[in-house]
Amino acid sequence: MRFTIFAHGSRTGWLVLALLVLLIMLPLAAVVLQVLLPGFFFGSRQIGDLSLLGEMFRRPLWYLSLKNTLVLGLGTTALGTVLGAALATARSRWSFPGARLLDGAVWLLIVTPSFILAQGWVMFASSDGLAESWFGWHWVHDAVFTPAGLIAVMSLSKFPFAYLAVYSALEWKMDRLGEAGRLNGGTAWTVWRTIEAPLLLPAYCSGALLVFMDTVGDFGLPASIAAVFRFPTLPYSIYSALYTSPIRFDMAGVLSFYLVVLIALAMSVQFWALRRARFDFLGGRATRAKAERPRKGALLLASGNLLLLAIAVGIPLGANLLTSVTRPGKSGSSAFTLEHYRELFVEGGQLTDALLHSLSIAAFAAIVGLFVGLLVAYVLTYSKFKLKRAIDVISLVSLAVPGVVLGIGYIFIWNQAWLERIGLLLYGKPAILVLAGVAGAIPVITRIVTGAMAKVPQGLLSAAQMQGASFSRRVRTILLPLLRDALLSAALAAFGASVFDLAMTSILFPPNFMTLPVVINKAFEDLDFGYAAAATLTGGTAVVALILVMERIFKPKEARRPSR
Amino acid sequence: MNLMQHRKLAALAIVGLSLTAAGCGNANNNNSGAAAATASDSAAPSSAAASPSESASASPSESASASTPAGNGETLTVYLNDFDTIVKPMFEAQTGYKLNIVSGNGAEIMSRIEAEKGNPHWDVVWMDAMPSIEGLGKAGQLMEGWEPTAAAGLTDFAKAFVPANKAYYPTGAHAAGVIVYNTKAFSAANAPKSWADLADAKYKGTVGMADPAVAAPAYPFVSWFFQDKGSEGGQTFFDDVLKNGAHVYPKNPNVAKALTGGEIKVAALQESNAYTLKNDGEPIEIVWPEEGAPASVRVAAIQKNSAHQDAAKAFVEFLLDPKTQQALIDEGDESYFQPSATGVTMKADRAQNAKLVAADASWASEHEAEIKQWFADRSVK
Repeated sequence: MRFTIFAHGSRTGWLVLALLVLLIMLPLAAVVLQVLLPGFFFGSRQIGDLSLLGEMFRRPLWYLSLKNTLVLGLGTTALGTVLGAALATARSRWSFPGARLLDGAVWLLIVTPSFILAQGWVMFASSDGLAESWFGWHWVHDAVFTPAGLIAVMSLSKFPFAYLAVYSALEWKMDRLGEAGRLNGGTAWTVWRTIEAPLLLPAYCSGALLVFMDTVGDFGLPASIAAVFRFPTLPYSIYSALYTSPIRFDMAGVLSFYLVVLIALAMSVQFWALRRARFDFLGGRATRAKAERPRKGALLLASGNLLLLAIAVGIPLGANLLTSVTRPGKSGSSAFTLEHYRELFVEGGQLTDALLHSLSIAAFAAIVGLFVGLLVAYVLTYSKFKLKRAIDVISLVSLAVPGVVLGIGYIFIWNQAWLERIGLLLYGKPAILVLAGVAGAIPVITRIVTGAMAKVPQGLLSAAQMQGASFSRRVRTILLPLLRDALLSAALAAFGASVFDLAMTSILFPPNFMTLPVVINKAFEDLDFGYAAAATLTGGTAVVALILVMERIFKPKEARRPSR
Repeated sequence: MNLMQHRKLAALAIVGLSLTAAGCGNANNNNSGAAAATASDSAAPSSAAASPSESASASPSESASASTPAGNGETLTVYLNDFDTIVKPMFEAQTGYKLNIVSGNGAEIMSRIEAEKGNPHWDVVWMDAMPSIEGLGKAGQLMEGWEPTAAAGLTDFAKAFVPANKAYYPTGAHAAGVIVYNTKAFSAANAPKSWADLADAKYKGTVGMADPAVAAPAYPFVSWFFQDKGSEGGQTFFDDVLKNGAHVYPKNPNVAKALTGGEIKVAALQESNAYTLKNDGEPIEIVWPEEGAPASVRVAAIQKNSAHQDAAKAFVEFLLDPKTQQALIDEGDESYFQPSATGVTMKADRAQNAKLVAADASWASEHEAEIKQWFADRSVK
């Protein structure tokens, strides 16, 4: 780190850029190159067929995929962000019975992969599902398996992204701004609308963007519901192009291209919304947010919260739970059994190994991702690095690109014969999963940390620099304490998401090095719902337990709220 | 305070790293006891030899059994989509070679092979996807011109599938689709009897089939109609079937589930799935149409540049051995198929009049992309 080729402030910038290019852009470029020059990585040099780009609007399947993706993405972004932001605001302002449940549920939803949630909904709402057989609700099937129903299902599983972004931004607040508004006769609503909400715009935006990107890139939901309802989306069609023979890298590339365009559009909307504004409103009088008892309506809050959680978490996970402990008998009856759980551990430790693999990869990815993500956020927020915008775009792109595509890119890059000579042929080795995990962790972490960092004024750091504090000391003594919660949330979110990353691991898992999501998904494919549900719950429980332990260890004592 | 934070961070880092080390270490030196595995798991107990260039020394391998002079304990990597649990112990005991099996569904395996084109990690591929493997041969990935000794014992039906360049050998064939109907919905007299019946208004909205873009056996099924009736005839046929409200499911198990769940009453279903339903006591009946059931042929091929040619050849010989095929039928998971070796007895309850028909592999391979694309676009309308 001690070379002087680059301007002083740009060193970190170049380091970050190099890391991001290696982990994200290079594999992605490989996929694009494959569209332009099919066979480039296999030693042939021929120009590809670019007319495919126009096929998007001619081929019924593609056009429908694009339309579905847009409808689902926009709908979920609107509903999910409103839901997440409202919950985060209520949670940080008021204490009410059951608030702790919301914290747990948010994590649970984050670590639960969409394909598991979607499968839970399928088990609940399909024509011979639990809603039908236990409650006799015939309407559920027709309500859920429509675009609007899927938007609702998706919002209920993606709102935690918006929740976390907003909640961590509410950690420190300037009460005086709001108090000034109230003194001048504004109602609480007016104050929120005209003072608090505009100041939190970056957090809302990064929350909305996270929800949008996670939704349009989501592969789990369309894949799971495909069994009962045809709803092709871009990621699903990309997967279909890769998982068919002859494999169509060119088509996957074209569809990925459109997906990336969608994300780029969403990002420009965000840039436009935040243009020329400053949001570094924290000052010396900032106080840590403390939830207080509302004067009235605590009961309403509590019951609303419970109802929401019952639907968002109760239905999909409850369906999994029921499926994992019942054995469908003849004639629609079911018997209680623990046999699915027994199966998990009798067969030579298949699940134990897979779980250990996934946990260790995710832990490593979260730690390395935290380091890189913090640097990325720092460069984005404070540095004058001239390629700042590129860094932002890259960190977002990796969220935008479905793991399936990035996974294929990783194969192109890391499976070239010449790497064997220098010992870097990582394809087919566990190391590639670690790399992919880090790539997947960076964007999540960057988004959450950037949202929180936006509130720390440059002045604080400049002042320290004037006193002669080194870069590492400035980060250590100013940024880390102020961002501690956000960093913890970010690392744990990345960890949880990484454990269950199905798309990447199913493409990249080395022979006989199974990961948890692969084991679960294979069981689903074989329609062995009981085994899959039992494996899901076992794995999920392990992850949640780890996260709670980490929160316990690293949460600053004054931030721990009295549990209710 | 600062010191505390440092300690915690350090502790976290150590925990993470040790976990990682444990995970990776596991890959390299655990031999989790060769336990019997179910159909839902596909990894055999690990040996980390991922690429053929690594020898078996990467894992602490037990010495090859002394009774078998042929093998020298080298590791052969086989990509397959069925029978992973049964062939490994048999082959290892018979030959003294080690098997590293990579199993997945057909599409997964083909993706892996495609992705590894520049640097293949496999020695043998053994799957019921003849057109796709024919395509690998056209791309110059397969060893050609070698004839196994056991090829002399192939049935006439199977011999017809051996290509002129001898790039792959059939180990069996099964119906990619037979007609299955719900006996509670239709009497034997009312039930569909021929493929044309799937477009009959009598079965409107009650027919299901698997998606050729996703399910491995569904393409051999669809392609036969396209070759048999000509491209336009094939399109017309499936147009009529789809217009008749047919449901397309990703895979055969989904079709089977829709059948038991009551969403559909009639299906074109892969035969092992069909017989499994019947043996489970579901109210269904299986019809083998007179014009024949389109076959999915399982073939084995050797990678051209495999570093383990002797072991690979031994494996293909092993697959063509009547004893092996009999064991697959008696104990395997996809046990309803017509064997390729003479002197093998089929499952007793498999229809004796089962007539299999198959599209020409080279033709099917050539038209694979366009037929799948046409079907995908047509079925979303």
